[in-house]
Amino acid sequence: MILRVANTICAEQWRYWLRTKVAATVLMLGAVLTLAALVVNAFHIEEAAHAREHLQHKAEERFKAQPDKHPHRMVHYGHYVFRAPTPLSVIEPGVDTYTGNAIFLEGHRQNSAMFAEQRQSAGLTRFSSLTPSFLALVLAPLFIILIGYGSVSREREAGTLTLLLSQGTSRSQLLLGKLLALAAASAVFLMPLLLACFYVAFSGESASLVALFSVSYAVYFLLWTVVVTACSALFEKSSASFTILIVIWMSACVLLPRLGSSVATNLAPSMGKLEADFKVEEKLRSLGDGHDVNDPAFKKLKQDLLAKYNVDSVDDLPVNFRGVVAQYSEQRQAEVLSEFAENRMQQELEQAHIARQFGWLSPTVAIRSISTVLAGTSLETHHRFLREAEALRLEFVQGLNKVHVEKLDYKLDMNRNASEEAADKAVVDASNWALLAEFKFEPEKSAVRISNANLYFLQLLFWVGITVLLLRIAVRRLNP
Amino acid sequence: MMRFNDIKREAGFVFGHRQFKLTMLVVLLLSSISLWAGFAEMQEQQATIERLLEKDQVERDAVINHQSNYGMVAYYSFHLTYAPPTSLAFAAVGERDVFPWKHRIRMLALEGQIYESDTDNPELAFLGRFDFAFVTSVLLPLFIILLLYDLKAKEREARRFDLLNVTARNSHAIWTSRVIVTLVPLALAVLLPFVAFAVLNGAELVGIVKVCAIVIANIAMWSVIVLAIGAAKRFSQFSATHLASIMLGVWLMTTVVVPVTGHTIINALVDTPEGGDIVLIQREAVNGAWDKPVEETWSAFLKSHPQWTHYTEFDPKRDSSFNWKWYYAFQQVGDEKASELSQSYQASTLKKDEIASYIAWVSPSLLTQRLLSSAADTDVQAMVHYENSVRHFHASLRDFYYNRMFKAPAFSLESFEQLPQFTPQKLKDSQENTDEN
Repeated sequence: MILRVANTICAEQWRYWLRTKVAATVLMLGAVLTLAALVVNAFHIEEAAHAREHLQHKAEERFKAQPDKHPHRMVHYGHYVFRAPTPLSVIEPGVDTYTGNAIFLEGHRQNSAMFAEQRQSAGLTRFSSLTPSFLALVLAPLFIILIGYGSVSREREAGTLTLLLSQGTSRSQLLLGKLLALAAASAVFLMPLLLACFYVAFSGESASLVALFSVSYAVYFLLWTVVVTACSALFEKSSASFTILIVIWMSACVLLPRLGSSVATNLAPSMGKLEADFKVEEKLRSLGDGHDVNDPAFKKLKQDLLAKYNVDSVDDLPVNFRGVVAQYSEQRQAEVLSEFAENRMQQELEQAHIARQFGWLSPTVAIRSISTVLAGTSLETHHRFLREAEALRLEFVQGLNKVHVEKLDYKLDMNRNASEEAADKAVVDASNWALLAEFKFEPEKSAVRISNANLYFLQLLFWVGITVLLLRIAVRRLNP
Repeated sequence: MMRFNDIKREAGFVFGHRQFKLTMLVVLLLSSISLWAGFAEMQEQQATIERLLEKDQVERDAVINHQSNYGMVAYYSFHLTYAPPTSLAFAAVGERDVFPWKHRIRMLALEGQIYESDTDNPELAFLGRFDFAFVTSVLLPLFIILLLYDLKAKEREARRFDLLNVTARNSHAIWTSRVIVTLVPLALAVLLPFVAFAVLNGAELVGIVKVCAIVIANIAMWSVIVLAIGAAKRFSQFSATHLASIMLGVWLMTTVVVPVTGHTIINALVDTPEGGDIVLIQREAVNGAWDKPVEETWSAFLKSHPQWTHYTEFDPKRDSSFNWKWYYAFQQVGDEKASELSQSYQASTLKKDEIASYIAWVSPSLLTQRLLSSAADTDVQAMVHYENSVRHFHASLRDFYYNRMFKAPAFSLESFEQLPQFTPQKLKDSQENTDEN
């Protein structure tokens, strides 16, 4: 019975919307924008995925195709890694356009990611971007407001509300009907998104994660339909509910996310890379220069090695002492570099956590966090990329150093600067370059990403609670 | 004609509304918070630069005193370059959170160093900055819409419209003065905090006036849009909220749809070389040089540096045990090989910015944002200018060391008194005039 009356009211509302131009225009505009964003983004991601895969392949080939060389030269020759986009970045590109997607890996250094796409955007996409997530999280609420701000207050202003209520329609039936109508309208924006999710679920992303992702978006849309309908019921005039809703939208979708970012920057200022570099250098200097076997820092290493092989001079060692030094100092250097890199990531994460606390003030911030964390386009996943790149760096550099230790004669090595012929002799076979491992970046396992988003699910739940409360107040206070 | 009495009466009327006073308070608060956030951030950047400068000098002095030949000093000593925030940067952070504003470079191939970025937390950049430029270009139009959309309709709905028109001496005057008493407090709420912060930060008067003019022009622009829609004959039958929806539609079109469409079009129009290719080419050239005959490097190097033709010979006794001249020559050749690509990369950045400046003419928000960051020297132009000043400085560094290594390789500490020092330069005035103003 409740549903039948609600259905009638819902159908009535739709008839009204289709008759007036505003609602129909907004619906059209929203649907077209969402579709355009999906198509443009899908092509862009597809292209980027191919390009990066190709570049990754090329970089590996080039490395392996290098001629016979001194192994340490290969340490400096270095290697590139590229981050492939995750399947859900079709909907939520997240921080990807701000981070850069390639890192150059070489001995003795940790480089940062280069060539962030945002640098090439001429500032056009700083506020808005043609990404499905921006449309869904920021614009769709505005569209829902424009369609629904008057759904109840219009009836009141026209005097039909009294009529409806006196004819035996209950307040909850009435609001349910209006809610259904608006939810159906918002589904016009949501549908393309859900279809895209469905598609993603079949292209290698975990189904449960995609389900959670789409449910979160659906809940977010529902939140707004409830808020809009409740405001429309609570305020006597359409203009009042309109003004209040626009103010709510402005604060939740536009203002608070940015405020969070600015507060985080100023509350927890992070040390820039350059500044950290000085500290790294200070610490590294105490470890000795790995290029120089006579550096006093390696005295103990030398003594231990001579004792181990029971010989008197490094010339008699069965291994290449320069290689040993390189291996040893690279290891200690990497430890220092990682320590500082971890510190920096920790600082960035702290800042991000401060900004994400604004999810308690705005549901948009909450869903933004859920969206990026689940899609694997969050800061966490970027850090994972940095860590994996560093692991690969250390692996191939130390692999090359091992070749240096075992396969290059010490005397030939020490003599390498004497003449060009001597330099030609101080090399190892190119077949050694095959030690480079393939790099294929994948985001965290879906279970990890879901648990990373736990707090933000809680925030979303909090907002569900608030809106349910709001709806109950609206039902109780609904007066003609 | 408008009279002072009209204005006074309307001011009393407008300020009688609690909603209006509340809105003004909110605008004042938002403007102040955004300015404070930008101010604090720029103070921090300035402090960072000072800390870095100090460490940079200490570090370099240590290297110079520790080494005994020019090649080693050039290899191990870094030089800090930076673009300090201008006195107005707090109002428009602009591109400073995406483009690097500090680099430490040394005499190795520059193309391998200049794309390194020490930028901010990407998640915060992604969420966006809450700066004054954002408040004025994106939020302010929304406030104007909220304040003005029901200017006449409110009276019409309250059935006072005809009464007001009849009782006023001049029916235009009453609406004009009502608009003025609404907008002037709004402009003051936005600009007073700005002027206070600008004075506190020691900004020049010209800059302050410029920013105020941009903001006032933006307010005027949006008021005209809002009032024109409100007065249009086509919409005369529409309700106030119906009109407001149309105004919001215009905001949406110009602030969101135009920029993102423009972005998509620009990306399709302007061909940008893969950034990765620049570094790749440079790396191949530099690393490949080790395997090539020394003469090959020299012939390439001498094409651009004929003055060193008779100085290329390597003498281990005179030039220290390693052939540094050759080493830096192939670094230079590596840069030269990548230079074409690198130039077209920068050219495409500028080209995109130029097209964006045309697109800005159909988007008041974009125009405001661009003008503000241009006034604050935080736009793409300024960031590219910084990149070029780093290139310039690197060239002078090369010049310094080439002169020593090729001509007088005997190491002397005194010669480092002439070591080039980086001094940040502002975008030249002549250049600024060719900007989109």
